[in-house]
Amino acid sequence: MTKFGRHDEKSLITLMTESSIRALEDAGASEKSVDAVYAASMLAGELNNQTAIASALVDQLALTPAAADRVENGPASGGSAVKNAYCAIACGMYDTVLVTGGEKMRHVPGERITDYIATMTNMEAEYIQGVTLPSLAGMLTRLYMERYGLTEEDLARVAVKNHLNGSKNPYAHIQQPITLEGIYGSPEAAVNNPLIADPIRMYHCCPVTDGAASVLLCAAEKAKEFTDTPIRIAGVSQATDKMAVQDRKDPAVLEALRISAAQAFKMSNTTPQDMSLAELHDAFTILEIVESEDAGFFEKGTGHKALRDGVTALDGKLPINPSGGLKARGHPVGATGVAQIVELTWQLRGEAGKRQVKNAQRAFSCNLGGFANNILAFVLERP
Amino acid sequence: MEFEATSCGDCSVSEDIESVLGVDWDIPKKTYPPKTVLLPTGERMVVREAAREEVPKLLQAITPLLTVSRDFYDIVAARQYAELLGWYRRRVRNEFCLVGIVEGKLAGIVNNRAYDQKRHVSLHTIALKRGARAGAHLFAAKQENSMETLGAEEILVTAESPIGFRRWIVEWGLEPRPGLQHELGGANAWAITREIYYKVKPRLVLGSRPVPDDLLKRSATFEIAPLDWVSQE
Amino acid sequence: MAENRLVGFKCKKCGTITYPKRLLCPSCKGRDFEEYLLSEEGRVVTFTKLWAVPEGIEQLPLTLAIIEFDGKVRVTGQVLSEEIKTGDKVRPVWGHIRKIRGKEIQGFRFQPSS
Repeated sequence: MTKFGRHDEKSLITLMTESSIRALEDAGASEKSVDAVYAASMLAGELNNQTAIASALVDQLALTPAAADRVENGPASGGSAVKNAYCAIACGMYDTVLVTGGEKMRHVPGERITDYIATMTNMEAEYIQGVTLPSLAGMLTRLYMERYGLTEEDLARVAVKNHLNGSKNPYAHIQQPITLEGIYGSPEAAVNNPLIADPIRMYHCCPVTDGAASVLLCAAEKAKEFTDTPIRIAGVSQATDKMAVQDRKDPAVLEALRISAAQAFKMSNTTPQDMSLAELHDAFTILEIVESEDAGFFEKGTGHKALRDGVTALDGKLPINPSGGLKARGHPVGATGVAQIVELTWQLRGEAGKRQVKNAQRAFSCNLGGFANNILAFVLERP
Repeated sequence: MEFEATSCGDCSVSEDIESVLGVDWDIPKKTYPPKTVLLPTGERMVVREAAREEVPKLLQAITPLLTVSRDFYDIVAARQYAELLGWYRRRVRNEFCLVGIVEGKLAGIVNNRAYDQKRHVSLHTIALKRGARAGAHLFAAKQENSMETLGAEEILVTAESPIGFRRWIVEWGLEPRPGLQHELGGANAWAITREIYYKVKPRLVLGSRPVPDDLLKRSATFEIAPLDWVSQE
Repeated sequence: MAENRLVGFKCKKCGTITYPKRLLCPSCKGRDFEEYLLSEEGRVVTFTKLWAVPEGIEQLPLTLAIIEFDGKVRVTGQVLSEEIKTGDKVRPVWGHIRKIRGKEIQGFRFQPSS
């Protein structure tokens, strides 16, 4: 992957090409051909004037005549692209598929980004009313506060944890630790951490980021041709829920995650307790807590307790977002799903440096599209 | 560029002419009482008044921004550069400048000037340390200085960038002044009245006093950290 | 049609009520609907006060809520009050919602009942 952050001097296609080259080099595949290239990006057409970006990428990588598709599934574009690559290989259509997710968004004014992101909500029921993703996070948080006793301090704790992890990740957008006092509890916290969608505040939201991430997938029986340390995708699943949050059976339950996570664990013949670590989709810190429950790691309504007990810290029993998550690693929308797989791969290979989770054997990730209405879940394992 | 801090700024100017062209403070002046502010990073920023002799260093710190067009940094930097240089060379009346210092490094520069005792003009806010809300605290501090230390009744504010507009004018709930031109290029003006100031003060004007002695001593000077965020943020 | 009442759509096959209108019933995929007047009042399920408002919305903060009607259908909308709580009763009111690229959009907003 490229470093996530601000890349004024590079175009989106350049970022995606660079990331792809690194992945191919890492896999010892620089001189090889691949059968297909999947390019994941949510807003390449709108923000970067480049539609059909897969065609641009396969060309830039000198990989023609390989098949090439763009995958767009909102912030789950990356996860969907990985899933599609998996399926293409599993059905025997292709042997090797390069997946690259990328987004370049920092050059666009904040209000326009908020609006583009809001277009993934239900047009008539939500978007028109002025609903934005932060507002949906605010409403979910309020439900959690009233039902389960989640506090604002819990939202802040996730941010502090993820910034600390990010400070150990050379690829992270934000490598600056923050303190709990600085964003919660002190009088200055009101200025340091202003309200976005009450009770969600600025430091409970991930940043807007430029960057790209890539993985090379191949048929399991061919993996040793590339590397001695292939990492297996043992479980992959996708599920959807009613689009508008109002239409969900229970607006505080991420049903699509319950289903996709359960399927991914079933497919890989594992349970949440078998996981050494998890990369969850913390676009808002509330989501990390809710996902940790609905993915099956903690009982519903107790995720914040596990957080308080340090269970999800880097040195805890189940480290969540050792990379820094979307909060600190950053969130180039189309790249995130792929970046999560990259992190799982590095962790399982023991290549995660200062943020290495000890003895990582199996890892979980989930990538959310929309406001949790379209979710990809993955289980990866070391052979 | 080199400067000499002589009593007239430039020895080639006769004292007669200087008494006509030069301006300084013509209203009562009090020094801003320094304070510390807690940043989200856990660091404490010392906010204190800058001394005229420090201007050459401040200009050095701002210079890299003169050519950054993103988010209107270039015009903000160019204008603050002119204001600080003007203060230094005694060509701007009643101007003060506050600096924020974190771990001995310059975190930000803010400046206002007083048109008269009652009416002040908010000039500029530049945060050199990014992602730490330094600018928000420094903006508040300079308004605190105008209102509380110097007794202003009203401060006229404008913004060059949309971010500035949102952060200062919208967040503070400033009163629009249609028909009034702000000193900065005749732009549209908004006002911080005493009523508005004291309404937002509990929420937005923060910090602790006094600054511990040793910290204050260490903050008597500052270093300029490289602006690595200019191309990568 | 009453002026300040939301009109839902009741599936003729299974009775599920949806809002806004859809082509297929989300429960049984039925295609025939009849209009169903939602109750005068709805109950606030959850809410937020949005400070980072989208372009075209003048209100700051903007109060948004998910509101349940008849225990059967939920609606998302703007609330004309900063002082609401979960469980509050609200009534629909027709009016200006926002502008989208300069174009005026009207729709239902919600006012506290008391």
